[in-house]
Amino acid sequence: MRPSASILLLTTVTGFAFGLLAWVGAYTALGLLPAEPHFALTGIAVGLFLASVGLAASLLHLGRMDRAWRAFSQWRSSWLSREGVGAVLIYPVAILLAAALRLDHGGIVTRLLGAALMVTSLATVLCTAMIYASLKPIRQWHNSHTAPDYLIYAAFSGALLFAVLDTVLLGTTGSADLIAAAAAAAALIAKRAYWHHVDAQTPLASLAAAIGLPKDREVRPLDAPHFTENYVLREMGFVVARRHGARLRRIALGLGFGAPLGLCLLASLSVLPRAATAVALACAVMGLLTERWLFFAEATHVSALYYGRRV
Amino acid sequence: MTMLPKVPPGAKKLGLVIDLDTCVGCHACAVSCKEWNSGGEAGLLPDYDKQGPEPDGVWYNRVHSYEAPEQGCSRTINLPRSCLHCEDALCVTVCPTGASYKRAEDGIVLIDPEICIGCKLCSWACPYGAREFDEEAGVMRKCTLCVDRIYDPNLPEAEREPACVAACPTRARHFGDLADPESGVSKLVAARGGKTLLEELGYRPTNKYLPARTATIKAEPREAAAEARDGVGAALLKLLDRALSR
Repeated sequence: MRPSASILLLTTVTGFAFGLLAWVGAYTALGLLPAEPHFALTGIAVGLFLASVGLAASLLHLGRMDRAWRAFSQWRSSWLSREGVGAVLIYPVAILLAAALRLDHGGIVTRLLGAALMVTSLATVLCTAMIYASLKPIRQWHNSHTAPDYLIYAAFSGALLFAVLDTVLLGTTGSADLIAAAAAAAALIAKRAYWHHVDAQTPLASLAAAIGLPKDREVRPLDAPHFTENYVLREMGFVVARRHGARLRRIALGLGFGAPLGLCLLASLSVLPRAATAVALACAVMGLLTERWLFFAEATHVSALYYGRRV
Repeated sequence: MTMLPKVPPGAKKLGLVIDLDTCVGCHACAVSCKEWNSGGEAGLLPDYDKQGPEPDGVWYNRVHSYEAPEQGCSRTINLPRSCLHCEDALCVTVCPTGASYKRAEDGIVLIDPEICIGCKLCSWACPYGAREFDEEAGVMRKCTLCVDRIYDPNLPEAEREPACVAACPTRARHFGDLADPESGVSKLVAARGGKTLLEELGYRPTNKYLPARTATIKAEPREAAAEARDGVGAALLKLLDRALSR
């Protein structure tokens, strides 16, 4: 599948945004927020700003941006529509929470709104994941790893952003850094398990089955319909990635999860905490963008079979 | 609404039955489709870089040719590929806007170009690669089963069929109601063992493909055939063969 910049930005940046908002919500719900009132408000502001950046990037993917509002209508069947509904629900919930934090610090309303923010944020990430997980023609997406993985990556990126805010704004080290480190470890394990799974998969179908012959029948393409690439091949037959796949996987694991894991552990021990968490964040952004690029570039679509490509 | 429709009892299931035994891969269906859908009220099917080195454009129908080795020699199979108007059309349910829909009354899958936002998700959901993006209008396009022909009362009744079917010089394309077991297309599917493409993916496509017959001529060496025969004629041939082989 062709990795388009707008979708890479959307899924990565909203992962940070909704992950951060989920953690702010969870800390609020559990009454564990740092006492300084500006901390949670800054977290909510950063979360909503990044969410807006991600959603704006997603608009660039549309052929008809002016009609984007129509995407909220089909939530009964479409995960993409549900993602849109979830994403816009987060704003009023987050703003209400911000108001409650000023007016009702630590009260039951604040805690309930915190829980609501966590739930809407995670639900929206799940909807994003299900867009991919529900696509039957793409074996690398249509499996039991995709949905939990997106939640784990969002939890990790949000935890890291939370730790950066905690360190930069309050100079605190310790639990938030350890949570980010643990989430990085979980993400690293999840990504390795995903690659292990997809590498062992067999093709969804054979070219013979695609043209109505018994599936084990030997058959090869003779003439393509056209001499040049077309939409189906550009969008669904993307193959550039595989040459560099192994190296990019190491970069994604190292930068995305390995480096943040080590740096967050350093920060938790108060070793250059501000620099450590900031560098961890920069590494995670680059690593996760690489990871997301691979998620698309390594995914194969059954329709490419008709052009004799391996799926 | 992009929920799949509840099919009313007695509803039609319009589709194509394509005979891979007679299809010669001439692309007349694809060209005729392009011509019909480029004109009229249905709008233009765009072409890009028409005179340049990388010509490209939107086609609803593309004809592939494959080679299937058989005993003795290979067999060519031409496969026209277009929307199969699936019963479990994932391209419909993934649509966030309601632009992609399946008609309850005849099962045709269509896109409303006035509503489509061009998110391309439906094309990802289709295992047959039947949907193509219109870069000029910013919306997705697909085969309409010539919905603007098949119901047009201004056309003579015999012409109320998709442009691809009308154009086929070998009559390899058949159009009809696959819900009616007595229809011509249903009888063809039953008689010829019509195949479903990628059946294991579970989209339940309406369109069916009639398989190409396997070759019955066995390519055996002629000498061996002559040796095996008995009788006066065969004996004379053997003598002649020996004389000529000297």
